[in-house]
Amino acid sequence: MKIKVIESVLKDNDAVAQTNRSTMNAAGLLSLNITSAPGSGKTMLLEKTITALGPDAPCAVLVGDLQTSRDAQRLAGCGAATVQINTGRGCHLSAAQISAGLGSVDLSQIAYLFIENVGNMVCPAGFDLGEHKRIAMLSVPEGDDKVAKYPTLFQPADLIILNKIDLAELLEFDVEQVRADLARINTRAPLLLLSVRTGEGMEKWFEWLDACRTDTTGRKD
Amino acid sequence: MHEMSIAAALIDQVSSIAERNGLVHVDRVEIEVGALQLVVAEALETAFSVMSNGTCAEGALLVQTEKKGEAECRECGHRFEALIDSYLCPQCDRADVEIVAGRDIILSSLTGAQREEGDLS
Repeated sequence: MKIKVIESVLKDNDAVAQTNRSTMNAAGLLSLNITSAPGSGKTMLLEKTITALGPDAPCAVLVGDLQTSRDAQRLAGCGAATVQINTGRGCHLSAAQISAGLGSVDLSQIAYLFIENVGNMVCPAGFDLGEHKRIAMLSVPEGDDKVAKYPTLFQPADLIILNKIDLAELLEFDVEQVRADLARINTRAPLLLLSVRTGEGMEKWFEWLDACRTDTTGRKD
Repeated sequence: MHEMSIAAALIDQVSSIAERNGLVHVDRVEIEVGALQLVVAEALETAFSVMSNGTCAEGALLVQTEKKGEAECRECGHRFEALIDSYLCPQCDRADVEIVAGRDIILSSLTGAQREEGDLS
C-alpha cells in the first residue's frame, strides 16, 4: 500500500521556531542568530558587545557548543543572562533547544537575545530557530574564498561580518574577492569589516544593532 | 552531519504516518530534497539506515529525488532558478531573493504492508 504524503520533514522544527518567534515578539526583544566557523570570534564579539551595551540594554545569550560551558562562563562574566546548550553529537542548534533555553531566562528584562550557534559553516544554515535576524560571520584567517565555498551560510544572512580585519594585509586577504562572491549570493545584507579585538569598525555594528532593535520593537504582528 | 537530525525527524514522521494508516512495516520512503539544502545523499541514506533500526522503517529503501531551487527577486519580482552558489537575478543583476522552492525536504510517499484484518499483532 502506497501512501501519498507531501509534508515537510522539518515541519516540527519550523513550528517550534514560529512559537519561539511569537514568544520573543511578545517580550519585545530583538533576537539574533550568529553563525560562523569555530574560532571566527563569535564569543569575543558578544563579550565586547554585552560589556559596551551595559545595563541600559540587558542581553541574554543562548550559546551552543558540542562540549564544555567555557563560552557561557566567559559571557556570564560580562553580565549577560547565559544559557549553555551542549549539543553532544549535534552539529547545530534546533528550535526545540532554543525553546528550552528561552524558558530559563526572564525575557521581560532583555533587550537583545543572542544565539551563538555551534561553530560550523554548513549545518546551522538549514534550521530556523525563530530568530529575528541572522548574522553570518567570517574572519580573515579563514581565507577569502569562504563565501564562495559555503554559500548556504551567507545567502540567508541579514548581516555579514568580516572579523579580524586588522590581519588582512599580513595574511594577504582579498576583501574584493569576498565582495565579488557576495554579489551573486547576497546583495541585501550589509558587509561590515571590523576587528573585535582592536575595536576597528565596531561603531557600525552598534549602529546596525540599534537600528534593528528600533525596527523590531516598533513592529506590530 | 545535520543529515542525522534530518533522518531522525524523517523516521519519526514515517513512524507516525505508518501507525495512523495501519502499516506494520514500511518498505519504501520517497523524499524530495531541495537543491538549495546542503544535504549529502549518501550521508542521509546511511543515517536513515542506521537510525531506522528497530523501527517500522527498518531496512526500508530511501528514494531521494532532487527538487530544483527557485527564487523570487525582492527587487523586481522576477522568478528564476536559483543554484546553490548563485542567486543572481537575470533581470536586475541583484542577489536579493526570497527562496520559493528548493530549501525544503519533503516526504512525498511511503509504501508498506498493512495490518491484515483480524491480525491483532
